[in-house]
Amino acid sequence: MACSETKQSHIKLDHVSFSFGDAMIIRDISLELLRGETYALIGKSGIGKSTLLNLIAGFLKPDKGLILIGGIPVTGPRKQTSFQFQELGLFPWQTVFEAVSLPLKILGEKKDIQAQVMSILTELHLESHKDKYPHQLSGGERQRVALARTLISDPDLLLMDEPSSALDAMTKEELQSSILRQSQERGTTLMIVTHDIEEAVLLGQSILILNENETLTRLENPCFGIQNPRDVLAFYDEVIKIRQLLRFES
Amino acid sequence: MTKRFLKRFINYQLMGFICFLLIWQVLHLLLNTHTIPSPLDTFVYFVRVPLVLLKHSGASILRVVAAVGISLILGVPAGLLLGVNSTIKRLFSPLLYFIYPIPKVAFLPVFMLLFGLGNPSKILMILFIIVFQIMLSVRDGVAQISPIYFQVMDSFCGSAWQRYRYLIVPAILPSLFSGLRISIGISLASLFFAENYATQFGIGYFILSAWTKMDYVEMFSGILALGFIGILLFNLLDRAESVCVPWLKRSTGK
Repeated sequence: MACSETKQSHIKLDHVSFSFGDAMIIRDISLELLRGETYALIGKSGIGKSTLLNLIAGFLKPDKGLILIGGIPVTGPRKQTSFQFQELGLFPWQTVFEAVSLPLKILGEKKDIQAQVMSILTELHLESHKDKYPHQLSGGERQRVALARTLISDPDLLLMDEPSSALDAMTKEELQSSILRQSQERGTTLMIVTHDIEEAVLLGQSILILNENETLTRLENPCFGIQNPRDVLAFYDEVIKIRQLLRFES
Repeated sequence: MTKRFLKRFINYQLMGFICFLLIWQVLHLLLNTHTIPSPLDTFVYFVRVPLVLLKHSGASILRVVAAVGISLILGVPAGLLLGVNSTIKRLFSPLLYFIYPIPKVAFLPVFMLLFGLGNPSKILMILFIIVFQIMLSVRDGVAQISPIYFQVMDSFCGSAWQRYRYLIVPAILPSLFSGLRISIGISLASLFFAENYATQFGIGYFILSAWTKMDYVEMFSGILALGFIGILLFNLLDRAESVCVPWLKRSTGK
């Protein structure tokens, strides 16, 4: 994916630290993420990946340092940031249509809600499920509804906390393609937290490894953008390289 | 829809009722006392005075509906406040726990003194008995909402009003309906006390009047009417629940 234009800085973490009680989770992390790029954040369980995502989302406030999005300090959740939770958080009382239209209603949009919702439901092959409740959907369908709900408000930043955990291999692949296609078509900056190294190599233009010493290692992903990456040997070389990095880390 | 409802009614409710009649008949035969009249005698009396029973039942239903309606108007906002605001919850929950188990019927003379002998004191007596149940159901309904749902609303930057409209109110509906079911049951039982003074209308009055006359056939026909009022109100509540909480109906396969 040759790209001649210079991408703008979108998110900047400036010496950010965060601790829960006495336990330091994030220590003095500085990072710059570019607008429209995709980032995969990996690391061992409990190392603080979700905490970092929550800090960027504005759900948590750093003890030290500053987080800037588009040059503006993050003081709380912002309307242009969408967050997909690991537990999805689909309301049991809302049908697929109601769930996806909710962000638009909250933003105060009155016109074309029906058309906008149906358009994204069609893109994600959910149009036939629009009147169903979450318990009437499969795991993969629920994930796609949550994805549609995060994308409907056309955010400039999409944060996803392990979106494909607990999915079977085929459903996971479908969801990963949907995430990648949707975020790239919309030019959304994507940051995804995952346990799955393959998923990180598949979705991340850059791979961010959160280390046990609370620091961050950044790797550029040479395999990003390759057609059918799972059929290419270099993809697995990259997966092995990251796995070794993580092993060395432990 | 009506056909399906009738079929369900015949299948389940009628079968249950027949079982109840059988147990009643067996008790009548075993105990052989005029205190438990036969179901047949009771039914004969029941169909002989339908208008009288209808008049008494109507008066009781109006009192119960008025008390439940006002308790919803007062209890739901109070329960929401208790559930959402932790300071208010900490301040008022002990008071609620103190009042909740007290037999409110003990305050009947106070209600008679404050609100007279007419309908207001009767309705307010029932209201006082059930409003705490409604408040606790709503408060617990709020407490049971998963924190992740609040985080989802935060991520959408929803206002406080939107939080109530799209999250809290729909989420508490199942608890509210459970609370209403209990409240209606308690209200019907409370009629026995609320309608034992200064009235000549109401199924509670009808039962007590028959009791003092030792006319047990009349008394049991009143009890039967009270049971039918229960069936009517609970069925109406079930229908309201299936309209207001459709996701629960589909998930439990009711």
